[in-house]
Amino acid sequence: MMLVVSAVTAGAIYFAERSAGLTVAHELERRFQAELDALHNMQEIRQAVLVERCRTLVRKPRLHAALEDGALDLLYPNAEDELRDIMADAQELPAAQTRYALQALFYRFLNRYGAVITPPNMDRVGSLLGEDAARLTLPTVPEQMQFGYLVRQSEPTNNTVSEVIAMPIFSSETGEVIAAIVLGFKPINFGHGDLEIKSGLWLDGKLWLAPLSSSAQMAVSEAVEKALSNSAPERPFEIALDHTPCFLFFKRLNPGSLFPPAYEVCIYPLTELAARQKTLRLQIGGVGLLFLVGGFIASNFVSIHLSRPVEKLEHDSAENLEQRKRVEAVLDLTSEELQRSIRFSADASHQLKTPVTVLRAGLEELLVDEKLKPEVREEISALVYQTVKLTSIIEDLLLLSRVDAGHLQIEFGPVNLVQLIEGWLDDLGALPDPFSLSIETDLPATLMVDGEKRYTSLIVQNLLENARKYNQPKGRIRITARVDNVGRVFLVIGNTGHSIPLVAQGHIFERFHRGVVGENVPGHGLGLNLARELAHLHHGELRLVGSTGGWTEFEVTFLAAKPQTVSGFV
Amino acid sequence: MAPVLVAQSSIEGRVTLPKSMSLPVVNKRYEIVSKAGIVSTNPPLAVVYLEGAFPRAMPAPVAQMCQKDLAFVPMLLAVQAGTKVEFPNQDDTYHNIFSYSTPKRFDLGRYRADERPVPYEVFDVAGLVTLRCDIHEHMRGLILVVDTPYFVVTEADGRFRLNGLPPGRYKVKAWLNSKTTLEQPVDLQTGSVTHVDFQ
Repeated sequence: MMLVVSAVTAGAIYFAERSAGLTVAHELERRFQAELDALHNMQEIRQAVLVERCRTLVRKPRLHAALEDGALDLLYPNAEDELRDIMADAQELPAAQTRYALQALFYRFLNRYGAVITPPNMDRVGSLLGEDAARLTLPTVPEQMQFGYLVRQSEPTNNTVSEVIAMPIFSSETGEVIAAIVLGFKPINFGHGDLEIKSGLWLDGKLWLAPLSSSAQMAVSEAVEKALSNSAPERPFEIALDHTPCFLFFKRLNPGSLFPPAYEVCIYPLTELAARQKTLRLQIGGVGLLFLVGGFIASNFVSIHLSRPVEKLEHDSAENLEQRKRVEAVLDLTSEELQRSIRFSADASHQLKTPVTVLRAGLEELLVDEKLKPEVREEISALVYQTVKLTSIIEDLLLLSRVDAGHLQIEFGPVNLVQLIEGWLDDLGALPDPFSLSIETDLPATLMVDGEKRYTSLIVQNLLENARKYNQPKGRIRITARVDNVGRVFLVIGNTGHSIPLVAQGHIFERFHRGVVGENVPGHGLGLNLARELAHLHHGELRLVGSTGGWTEFEVTFLAAKPQTVSGFV
Repeated sequence: MAPVLVAQSSIEGRVTLPKSMSLPVVNKRYEIVSKAGIVSTNPPLAVVYLEGAFPRAMPAPVAQMCQKDLAFVPMLLAVQAGTKVEFPNQDDTYHNIFSYSTPKRFDLGRYRADERPVPYEVFDVAGLVTLRCDIHEHMRGLILVVDTPYFVVTEADGRFRLNGLPPGRYKVKAWLNSKTTLEQPVDLQTGSVTHVDFQ
């Protein structure tokens, strides 16, 4: 009997300890992942701003002339004006504006072969030593945006690492990539809360993690190098640094990039974990001891009081459970930290919204002046239009980051789908219609779906807007809706726009995907992604039915609203 | 006007133009296209000119490159070096014509139809000048500056005729695009018509 009790106790202690250790490790990993996700969200916001700036930039005839008519000496002087709002002026910028790292530290153009076009002077382009600038060179000019990191070897102490983004510049005539612009930013630093996580960068076979001793740096370098050469999975593993056991995490920051691979490397000393485990061991051990004593006493009276140790066992398990709960509470706290970092990108979108609104109000005030020259007025109107566009991107991003963070809860209720569509058709009637589109509908009188009106309406509007925008003159839009016998509602929207090329069809739901390059259609490539995310939250699906022979058709499904029971007077 | 005083000869013939890059459309407008760094007109046109040591015309000739319906008219203009080219704006909106091409860099700034004198530039150096408008990104025009008073833009089918040429041995050249210029030697006899085809 005594042996059984001892074995059970030892087993319980072993598993409790092991489980607590694993949970802490798992939590750390999740936290690391959440911070990386927040970093990627931030990159997306920055990307949105840049995509918009670059789209405007590549249309500028002066930059085209400089790149295409052999006047490279005029490229940087012309770009200077265009990029003034993106380039940071270290002296003038208040800290708040650099907080979200939207201001660039330097920029360079790459030619059509991926080599850096040397600027005539460094005054306004951000100074970079020749060897540092040379490392911005890519094997070929990229057709898609590329992320990378540059360690500025000219400055061995502070601010050594810059995050770089390369954006392709397309010819408006041929759609070919004619150049690229590379912008350098201060990397975003993440606080790791109360945990002692040290994070750094692994780049070009070298570790950039300042606070470690040189022997620890070497050990980490060796471990990362070994893991990478073995193509080990990006999982945390244990490593001893200066006789302290640590967890090491690493993860590729720029998967698929043409820039050299960069990894975020995090070190977490296991001293804290060991301390937690020690406390846990004492607690579990204490309980175990009680259990053993109980077992011992029980075994003496086993023949008479068989039920007693069982009661004791129950009691001890309850205490054990209590300890576990306390550990879980600590873990909940760290989970809150995690949520905070996810919220980071949502906050950033908010922070972006206010300055844009202020900017727009200021511009509109300027327009009131009757003495404005017509060309100035034209320019200001164009700027106002840009701020409207930027606001809509930010709003979409804000919504998307709420969806990403799992904060968007749909308050389900019956929504009349047909009414939404008819509302849009009414609005369309009020707009100037250069396309003279004809619209066919095949809709029941009412069709109630389960959703929240503002979000259901966003899905429908996005699809109908696309059908209008990407249509051709005198084209056709067909809207049909039906409900099947298991209560699913299918809304199909077809249009006579240009077919989406087969290679692009797999990517249309990706963020910032846009149709054909140089296409003169307003939009920023978030609409379909947002619509799909919202459709998922509606327990539905959005898909491309087909796009061939000049007919493109999207289908979104909803759940039919449950029939309303008449409530009230019974 | 020196050339008209000597006995004149002519060259006529045909330049085989490259195939048009798009299907023929009724009343298709000419446009300037750039493919793999080669600038040409579409549908294709050529400029045929007689190369030789000819004196510059005095006073400087004047030519016009209009902006009408948000396009350059003509799309391709050939001029002798030293020509003053005026850029009248015939649209209701502003234009801002500029060029960064090596033979002539200039920027006329923004101006409207009523701008007087009509904005102009003198083109002194032979070569190809790409014109753009800073306000209307799609607008593209070409000026081919040649060092001779004897030049002509071909018909859409490639036919051309150069009149009033001085007799002698010359090279006759056909400019097809920014990278291709064909040439043939000619020996012009007084009062004769020489036939030259460019394949």
